[in-house]
Amino acid sequence: MQFLNQLTALYKKLTWTWNPGSDKEAGDAIVKNVLLHAFPNKVSKGSLSWKYSMYLGTISFVLFVILVVTGLILMFLYVPSVERAYSSVKDLEFVVSFGWLLRSLHRIAAHLMVAVVFLHMVRVFLTGAYKNGKSVGSNRPLNWIIGLGLLLMTLLLSFTGYLLPWDQLAYWAITVGTNIASSAPVVGDKIRFFLLGGNFIDQNALIRFYVLHVFFLPMIVVFLFVWHMWRIRKDGGLAVVDQEALTQKPEKVIPVKSKTYSLLGITNGSSVHVQTTMVNEEENSVASIPNLTRRLWLVTLGTIIVTVILSIIFRAPLEAAANPAVTPNPAKAPWYFLWLQEIVTISTIPLGFVTINGALIGGIILPTVMICLAVWWPYRDPSGINSVGVWFAPERKKQNRIFIIICLFIIIFTIIGTFLRGPYWNFYFPWEAWPTMPVKY
Amino acid sequence: MNHKTMKQKLEFAAKDKLYVSIAGVLFLIVTGYISYDYLTPEWKEYQSEFSDVVAEKFGEERAATIPAGLQQIYVKDLNLSDRCITCHQAVEWKGLENGHNPYKTHPAAILKSHPLEKFGCTTCHSGQGYATDMNSAHGFSEHWEDPLLGKELSEFYVVSNKSAMMQVNCNKCHRFDKETKGMDVINRAKQLVNEKGCRACHVVNGRGGTVGPDLTFEGEKSPEQFSFERVKGFASMFTWHTAHFKNPKELVGETIMPNFGFTSNDAQALALLVMSWKKTKLPVEYIPSNNFKDVPTTEEMEKEERMKNGPGAFFVQKRCFVCHSVSSLGVEAAAQIGPDLAMAVEDVQSRFGRTLDDFLMKPTGTMEVVLSTMLPLTKEERLEAIDKLRNAYELKKKEKLAVKK
Repeated sequence: MQFLNQLTALYKKLTWTWNPGSDKEAGDAIVKNVLLHAFPNKVSKGSLSWKYSMYLGTISFVLFVILVVTGLILMFLYVPSVERAYSSVKDLEFVVSFGWLLRSLHRIAAHLMVAVVFLHMVRVFLTGAYKNGKSVGSNRPLNWIIGLGLLLMTLLLSFTGYLLPWDQLAYWAITVGTNIASSAPVVGDKIRFFLLGGNFIDQNALIRFYVLHVFFLPMIVVFLFVWHMWRIRKDGGLAVVDQEALTQKPEKVIPVKSKTYSLLGITNGSSVHVQTTMVNEEENSVASIPNLTRRLWLVTLGTIIVTVILSIIFRAPLEAAANPAVTPNPAKAPWYFLWLQEIVTISTIPLGFVTINGALIGGIILPTVMICLAVWWPYRDPSGINSVGVWFAPERKKQNRIFIIICLFIIIFTIIGTFLRGPYWNFYFPWEAWPTMPVKY
Repeated sequence: MNHKTMKQKLEFAAKDKLYVSIAGVLFLIVTGYISYDYLTPEWKEYQSEFSDVVAEKFGEERAATIPAGLQQIYVKDLNLSDRCITCHQAVEWKGLENGHNPYKTHPAAILKSHPLEKFGCTTCHSGQGYATDMNSAHGFSEHWEDPLLGKELSEFYVVSNKSAMMQVNCNKCHRFDKETKGMDVINRAKQLVNEKGCRACHVVNGRGGTVGPDLTFEGEKSPEQFSFERVKGFASMFTWHTAHFKNPKELVGETIMPNFGFTSNDAQALALLVMSWKKTKLPVEYIPSNNFKDVPTTEEMEKEERMKNGPGAFFVQKRCFVCHSVSSLGVEAAAQIGPDLAMAVEDVQSRFGRTLDDFLMKPTGTMEVVLSTMLPLTKEERLEAIDKLRNAYELKKKEKLAVKK
């Protein structure tokens, strides 16, 4: 018997970093554990709705997991050196078992993640979900800012990953990107030097981008993601729940055995606590397990299948090995920055003796202003509590319109930059063929 | 959201279950497709067909020895992995000289001087060595700039000589050869460079005039650096150069380069020559005419000549001079390890207490080892040595007397 006790004690020592002094202490520890509280016990049907959230956040998380898993395997196969990077990617394409799939999945998931995280932001704005409802202690504007941080990290992750194959596409996209960074006033050249670890895109830049890409940026994403999820629970769930709460009336509820009440709560049915349940549980909510978990599994499976099918259809391209002496025509930034490159082009205007610096306007000033506006707006938004967690609330008509116009403008410029800009950055309509570029033989 | 029954309320759950099942099936189908794709690559067909070819010609036993799976030649010095031999398995196989590709033996003579393990395949043939499917490997795919310089390309450009295109690659190493066996087209172009006096205006291989552009690394240019506005037909650097050699003014209006009236063949040969002038990153031992050796000065050469033909020639020939000088005979040791042999007659006596004759016939110590292993001398040679050393000693004595006087 004593031996058994000793064994139990040993097991506890090995499995618990800290040994709770009492059952209450152990219980508190569980209550405080964020991992054990990723999901609530019950979830409202409104939050489960496809129409409301479109599960864009879940999809971006699944994409992130795909990226981490494929990325970890790729780390065994990719060599972050100027001499070897390109050939190690060629090996992935041709001789590593399922190497092409790994790389293609990683690329497609990264592109999708940029798109889905952006759409998630659009959804949150158009449903007014960054606004506080009635529940106490909610701070949704903060979570909106964390979300913006996640969007920026997603862009940076994608951008740092762009250089790694060390082909022409990578080399010149990073050239465009870092040249835009260098147009910042006063410190521009310093920023470029800092980004590249030198004045040229070479081994220093490659190892810098690699370490950021595989360690620092993902760590930041994990941290921000956990904070993002934790805030959702703290804010009382998705904003749609606040909308539902508005329609609910206090209802008398008979105490049940499975719940803990204050002493007042059980004195003959007159307690405030018992009567004013926020959400009428029996009517509108279902158990998270298995209803929410099954949904999440469905979304996960769906995301994986779509990503795999897209990876099979659109094989990841690999251009010629990076060659600083030969600029491809046209040289483009990664697609999600092309709207900025487009603005850079448009806003570079020669005026007699001076030229308006488009790179400064499109590459530095505009994005900075947009980020500042996005951070500030939730605190400024005048719309009331009725427009929280509802699509296209009439009260928010004006700001939604402006927001949609900005988004459309980003999307249209991205499309123009991606599909309609040909050699020499000339504009070509979709029905116009680009001139064929000459080859060696 | 008033649901009458529990069943109504959980209606969505039933749908979700159905969707999960459908997604599961889809996932299996996709997994199946990927596995099928993995198990049936193009090269497996070629390998099995090659096995049949060998079995038919040499018997099942020989066929069983053919290696299966992806094959590659890795040349570390050239940073090159060529997987061509995954399909072209017959390359080093004797007896399939008359076969058809990819089941054909490579011409043996050229492989002897350019072994596969040192050169790989793409060093000479171009194409994409990394690739394991035909289209990508032959390099006629997007984003690969060096396609296979073979039959397809020769036919496309109507080049008379089948191996002409490939000679561009030969010239990466043989650039500074005046003439190279088997490189007829490039040889012809090199001859034209001299005959037409290209160096009057252009720097070629590091020397020449400055009227026209320096052509030392002309082949390093990329197609984007040429204007194709006036080029008829397919836009490639090769077409540009060929057209330009035929009639420079037609392509570059303001040029002062004269029209030499080259034939199509000559223009193509010159185009290939200039395209071969690249900044090649080759280990020095790959370059046949490399200057990676110590060139002796005139003084050093004169001295060597003197020693070889002078009175001390015997000691140079028999390599005694590696350690010993014979000062009175004008022999200077390469490394001054042993004593001057001009004094050997005296020296041996004082060191070993024996006469020179006795010592040379039966040496001890270091000399015993040297004369029995590295520099064996016959009895006659030893006698000759003794005789010559006596002469040397006499001369030395005279020299000394002369100095004293």
